Order: sequence, then C-alpha cells, then structure tokens
Amino acid sequence: MIYPSGANQPGGYLTGRFSRYFSLDVLRGIALAGMLLISIREFGGFSLNQQLKLELAATGGNYQLWRVFSVLLEGKMMALLSLVFGAGIVLYFSHKKEEVSTAVTDLYIRRQLWLLFFGIVNAILLLWPGDVLFGYGVIGILLFTCWRLSPRWLLLMALLFTIIYCGKNYWNYSDDKKAYGKYLVVTEKEKQFSKDSLTRFREDSTWAAANPAAWAGKKKDTLVKRGDKDTLIRKLLNDSLIKAAAADTLTSREQDDKGAWEGLLRQFKYDSTADKGSQAAMHAGYGKIWSHLLGKTQGREAAWFYRTGIWEIGAMLLLGMALYKWHFFSSRFSRRRYLLIGLLAIAAGLALAWLRQDCRQAQLADYAVYVSARSFPASLAFPFENLLMATGYAALLLWLVRLQPALWLWKIFAAPGQMALTTYLSQTIMATVFFYGYGMGFYGHMPQWQLYAVAAEIWLIQAVFSVFWLRRYRMGPAEWLWHYLIHWKKIAVKYPAEKQGAAPVIPS
Amino acid sequence: MSNSNQPQPGTPGEENKSGSNKPARSAAPVSNAERIRTLDVVRGVALLGILLMNIPGFGLDQSAYGDILRGDHQNRDYKTFAIVTTLFEGTMRGLFSMLFGAGMVLFMLNKKDVPGGASVGEYYYRRLLWLLLFGMLNAYILLWPGDILYFYALAGMLLFPFRKWQPRWLVALAVLCIAIGFIKGQWQWSELRGKREAYHLAKAAEKEKKTLTENQQGAVAQWEKIEKQQQPDTARTNRNLRKMHGGYATVFLHMVPENSNNEIWGIYHWVWDPLCMMFLGMALFGLGFFSNKLPTSVYTLTLLLGYGVGVPLGWFYFSQAYGGAFTDFSAFVDRWRVPPFAVYDLKRVFLSLGHASLVMLIYRSRIVPWLMKALACVGQMAFTNYLMQSIFCAFIFYGYGFDYYHRLRYHQLYYIVGAIWLFQLVASVIWLRFFRFGPFEWLWRSLTYWRRQPFKK
Repeated sequence: MIYPSGANQPGGYLTGRFSRYFSLDVLRGIALAGMLLISIREFGGFSLNQQLKLELAATGGNYQLWRVFSVLLEGKMMALLSLVFGAGIVLYFSHKKEEVSTAVTDLYIRRQLWLLFFGIVNAILLLWPGDVLFGYGVIGILLFTCWRLSPRWLLLMALLFTIIYCGKNYWNYSDDKKAYGKYLVVTEKEKQFSKDSLTRFREDSTWAAANPAAWAGKKKDTLVKRGDKDTLIRKLLNDSLIKAAAADTLTSREQDDKGAWEGLLRQFKYDSTADKGSQAAMHAGYGKIWSHLLGKTQGREAAWFYRTGIWEIGAMLLLGMALYKWHFFSSRFSRRRYLLIGLLAIAAGLALAWLRQDCRQAQLADYAVYVSARSFPASLAFPFENLLMATGYAALLLWLVRLQPALWLWKIFAAPGQMALTTYLSQTIMATVFFYGYGMGFYGHMPQWQLYAVAAEIWLIQAVFSVFWLRRYRMGPAEWLWHYLIHWKKIAVKYPAEKQGAAPVIPS
Repeated sequence: MSNSNQPQPGTPGEENKSGSNKPARSAAPVSNAERIRTLDVVRGVALLGILLMNIPGFGLDQSAYGDILRGDHQNRDYKTFAIVTTLFEGTMRGLFSMLFGAGMVLFMLNKKDVPGGASVGEYYYRRLLWLLLFGMLNAYILLWPGDILYFYALAGMLLFPFRKWQPRWLVALAVLCIAIGFIKGQWQWSELRGKREAYHLAKAAEKEKKTLTENQQGAVAQWEKIEKQQQPDTARTNRNLRKMHGGYATVFLHMVPENSNNEIWGIYHWVWDPLCMMFLGMALFGLGFFSNKLPTSVYTLTLLLGYGVGVPLGWFYFSQAYGGAFTDFSAFVDRWRVPPFAVYDLKRVFLSLGHASLVMLIYRSRIVPWLMKALACVGQMAFTNYLMQSIFCAFIFYGYGFDYYHRLRYHQLYYIVGAIWLFQLVASVIWLRFFRFGPFEWLWRSLTYWRRQPFKK
C-alpha cells in the first residue's frame, strides 16, 4: 500500500498501464478483496454476536458457509496485506538506493503519518471501526528501520513476533484458568455456607428439642414461652436459617471473583439485547452511529493495536521484508518451488485451522470443562495458522501469475491493488452508504450469502473503475491526494500524451 | 569533567561557537566537545525535579492525596503538597519534554548522512525504538507505572517531519496541541456534567413525588456510582498495600494491568501533553533560548512573565482543582462549567519557562559554578539518572526492597528526594570523570548504532 506505484518513478509507467510490481499489485488486490469479504459482515450487521449464534448452532448451510469463509479468509487476508506492506517498505527504500538519505526517510515518515491520518478519517469520520490504515501507519513507523536487516534476521524476528502473539493468547487463557480456579473456591465456600447452616440448624433443633424451656427463655419470646410447639418449631426454623443466611455473604472480593468468571462465560452466550441495541443505533442518523461506534473504534486503535495488532501485523510485515529480500515477490523462485511452498504451507495452515475449530467447538460446548481439562486455548496456534496460510496463498498466487493465464482476470485484482488506498477508502464509503442508517439502511437486513454478494458487487464496481481510471491516470484519486499531502505540491496525474491508449503490458 | 574542550561554566558565548561552527559530523554519537552546556544544566534540573512529582507515586497509595486534602491544612503534609503542586506539578516533566524536543533537533543537526549507510533519520527512529523498549522495561520490569520514556519515544516519532519548521510555526503547533488537549478534556467534562444534570432532573422529579422512569433511575444510580468512586475506598487501598508489600512477582503482576492501561490509553488520549511541550522546546531551541544565546534582559523578562503568570495560575489550580475535587466532588462538578483542571497546560508552560529562565540566569550570574557543573553532569546522564530513580525508589518502597511503601508521611518523602538528589549530583560528577557517558546512555548508544561505543575516558 505504501509502495511507490509504477507511475511515481521514471520509466515505471512506460512499461504499460500496470506498474513494474505487477505481482505485488495482484497480491494486494486479492488481499483487499478477501478482507472485504470478511469486513462486509460487520458492515452489514452480521455481528460477532450473530456469528456466535451461528457457531453455537453449528449446523446448516449458513454455518458451513460462514465456516469456510472464516477458515480461508479471516485473519489470513490481513496477513497477506501485511506481507505485501512489508515488502513495499523494502522496495520503497531500496529502489532509491543511490540516494538513501534523511530526505527519503523524511518522505517515508510523512507518508506514514498521512496514512495514519487517513486511518483516523476512515475510522472516525467515515465510520469504519475495523479500519487497518491507522495500524499500518503506526507500525510502518515503528518497524521500518528493520528493512536493512538480513532476511534471516527478519525471519527470526517475524517468528519471534508470532511466538509472542501465541504467548499472549496463552497468557489470556491462563488468566481464564485462574479465574475459573477462583470461581471454584468461591462456589465451594457458598456450598459450605448451606452445609454450615444445615449443621447449625440441626444442632439448634436438637438442642431446642432437648431443652425447650431454656431455648424459649433465650429467645425471650412470649409466644414461645407459652410453649406452643408449632410456633416454637416455626420460629426455630426461621431464626436459625435466616440468621445463617445473613451471615452467609461473600466478601466483595469474592463476589468480584465470582462475577469475573460468569462474565467470561458470557462471551460464549448469544446476547440478543446487544443485537437489538446495535440495530437501533445503526439505523439512526450519523450522529447516533458516530457515538455508537466511537468506543469500538478507539478500542481497536488503542487497545487492540497494543495488545494484538502490533504482533499480528508486525510478524507478517517482517516476514514480507524477508521474503522480498529473498526475491520471493519478483518471481525469482522456480515454479515448482512456489507450488511446493504454496501447497505445503496451506496444508499445514488448514491442519491448524481444523484443530482450532475442533477446540473452539469444545470451548463453546462447555468452557468450564474445557478450562479444567485442557492446557491450551483454541487460539494458541492461530498466529501460525495465519502466517502459514498467508504465505501459502502468496506462493500459490505468484505461481499462478507466472503461468500468466487470462490477463483480464488478473486485472480485476491488479488494478484495484495498484490504487489500494482509493480502493480501501471507497469500500468504506460504499459499504457505509449501503448499510448504515444515514444511507440506504440495509444494516442487519441481509442474510449472510447476500452480504458476500454485496461484497462481490462492490469489488466489481471497484475493479471496473480502477481499470478505466488507470487507463487515463497514473494513480488513483486518493493516491494523488496522498502524494500531494506528502510533497505539498501537485503532480500531473495524466499519462504523457503519446502514451495514451497503449495496451497494458504485464512485465515478465 | 576535566575535559579541556568543555566550555567552562560562566563563560556564556563559548557555547555559541561550539554549538554552530563545528564541522558537519557523520552519523555518530555527539562527542563531549559538542555538547551545549546550558542544555545539560536545564536537563539536570528537570531530571531532579521530576522526582518531586514522582516520589508520592512510588511511596504512597493514592488515597494519601485525598487524606491530605481533606485533613488539617496546617500540618506539614498539606503545606508540602500545596507548595510542590503549585510550583512544580507538570513543570519539570514539561521542561524535560521541551529538552527532549530540543535534543531531537540537535540530534538531527549534528550529523550528516553517510552514503551507503543508514540515514540519520533512520538512526533517529532506531534510537526512539530502543527508547520505547527502555520505557517498557522501566514500567514492567523496574515496576514504575509512571514511566514517561515510552510516551516520549512515541511522541518523538511524530516530531520528526517538523524538525525544520520555524519557531513561530512550532509555537502554533504547540498551541494546537494544547487546544486539542483542552477540547478533549472539555468533552469529557461536559459528558460528566451531563450525567450530573440527568441526576438533578431525576432528583427534582423525585421531589415532586413522580415515579421515576427507568432512564431516570439509571441516571441516579450512575451518578451515585461516580460519587462513590471519588470516596476513599479502604478495600481497594488495603488490597494495594497488601500487594505492594509483597515480593517481586506479586508487585509485578499487580502492576501489569495498570502499566498496560497507561501505555494503551495514555498514549492514545494523552499524546498531546508531551507533544505540545516538545514543539515548544523545539521552538525555544530554534530561538537560542536553551543554548544561552539570548540577552540577560530576555531571560529576566521570561522569568518575570513565567512566574508572574504561572504562580498565580498554579495556586488557582491547586486550591480550586485539587481543593474542590477532593473535598466535595458533586459540588465541584456543579460549580464549574470549565473545570479548573483546564488551566493545567497554560500554567505549566509559564512555570516551566520561569524555571528555565531562573536556571539560565543563575548559570550566567556564576554564583554557584560547582552546582551548575554538577547539574550539567546530572543532565548529561539524564537517561541513567531517570532509570536510577526508578531502581532506587522501587528498592526503597516496594515489598521486595526496604518495604517503606505507605509507611512514611507525605512530607517525609522529600527527605528521600533530597538524599537521592545528593547522590545523583555527586555520583554523576564522579562517574563522568572516568567515563564518557552514563551506563544506560552507553548501552542506548551502542544499541542505536549497533556497535560497541567507547566507554572509558
């Protein structure tokens, strides 16, 4: 996304309407298309909560459809985008080798800061809480200096990041385990309460039955003193149980412990009120939707990024740098090698995905049982699943690109991929206008398969638009604005006249 | 500091030469000869001053503030608290941020790109990346949740494209940052007041014997909860004390949520705070303020202006914001449409300027050259000294050390501050007699340039 499009450099566009970095464009385009298929769920009101409902049912075509898309795309497509993003950073710096200086760093940082700014606009003004531009802006600043490392070091760092991400998943799970342990202690104590009360009651009643007069005297109750046996027993029952119950309260700490686990269990329950709330909010006007989504957006930009995003995106970005340095993206590997890497990585990733699904079902069935029986959470190897499958996809796609079948097919992805910022931002605009209350308001009104159809429709529009746009212009409109903001001067966006109408060429 | 290249304190003017006429350097650490003495002195003052504000964070449970403010106003704790807050809150960190901004410009000015190697810009970002890690180390490992290095590193990454801007534009940026901070604060405040308003309406309805709607009941419950959060919470305090008196693992785990919370939301909502002072510091550096280039009359003027405006504002801030919020929170919310907390940035800009001018004037007057020299040494190894404060204080106060946590009174903490100051002043002078950099500076440089740096003199 940050890499210079062919148009930005001498000779780039002269090779045709597509940049020299055709394979990167294709990968980026496919990643963006795949991400849209996943994010369309949230755009369209098929919320995580709804998805949980489907997962709990675990049968039916709808569930299978959801599962296939989730396994194949969720997390993987962002990983693929991050891979290309990392490659783009090395490309950005190394193609200007002769002039690597602070001026290049300066332009790069501006680029990233404006990307970050576009991310804020996308999330907070255009109202897409799932925005990734903000995260890419930040992480591109944090990690770009790694581009000089050797590919082996980069690979090691990528693995380290992935392991940290796994470790965090494990840490969270062990917290859950601890919470369950504390919950058990508290419930044990509660059981003890009723046992204690019963014992006390039994002792009291035995004693009272043996010494009714003494007991009645102790109670100083005239009714009882009169010796009415029924009253006496009723009184006894009341007093001793009520008193016991009054003493039987948990400390606030214990209540917190109990509540903590019960809260954890709630994430495995479908919450119908939450759905109603978001339905109502998302069908309202802009202001209402804005405040409804603000917390979510901030949570993603701050908390998610700090806890997960940096490791999730960072690992793939570093791997992308390493792969670029190994000439993976410039199709220098043999065809067989691409195919082999692709198939092996995807197979391994799918195996992990299958394992995860299995554990996930066990978690959903009864989390308490899961927590007490198993040492690892379902999500443990998810980072590796992402890494393997994204790499596998990239290898397989590069293999396919090398075969060079049907040019038009690749254009559908390469053109929107070349103007990725325009594509990404216009996805938000189209989807929000289509789904949100201030637009056409289809939020929550479409079944899952229709959402995917909408995503395909959006992509079709974007593909056609991009292909025609790039025939006339060197870069997408958002890219032009980006370029303008970075350099603070306008550039000619049209191709030089003599090149008008030349046929697109794919560099081999 | 027996280095003969070093301009001696009390000879203003020499720094100008060493500051501007030196040959362009390749990407390498600043050598001692190039250091700007006054910058180090002011940094030393700021570094020591930061401990004034940090020591209660190390040594006391936060309930102490409320206890002092609600308690007798004649005792030493209250008086110390009043003085420290009025004169120093936010100002020493503010100065430190200003010098960080100035140091950034200096870092970039001092070096030229070497063809074939990493650019100076890249070194700049590597340096900050390591600072980020040191900040996390300070927070999570040395167990200081009040760490600022993490925030400085991230804020510093935003400064870079502005390094060549003219001072007036930098001042404009600083004002913009203050404005954003103000608007965000005001936003939160009006939300809070909105809740209070809803509470009042519900209460009024209750008085008229109307049955409350669900929303109104919610509003009442919500405000009562907010009010309760302002009350002392002994269970919370006791838990905190129990944990802080525990071993390293206990304190570590106890602080993980606080640390991650600070680092997540602190940087997200609070980045304007260090950023505005950094921009201001860059502007002042550009004007020659920190490099002792301005005439004495200007420093006198900024001193008078800084203290003249800053001290009354600081007192207003202390008496109204702290005094009000801690004694009767609800009345405080009712009273202020714009909270007295809003003057925070303004008062600390003026006070920081006042403090800096005072230091510059003392430096020029040559009345205490030995102190200036010692302060310059402290400032030169500010990074080491900052981390050392965490190490010392954790060791003095936390359970795995001498375990003085919450066992001293507020004013007694300042005896410890005095002791640490004395130690740092003496130790820095001695250390720099034998070594070129402080130990953490050396480590930081070596990591940044990924090459072992010369250490001994």
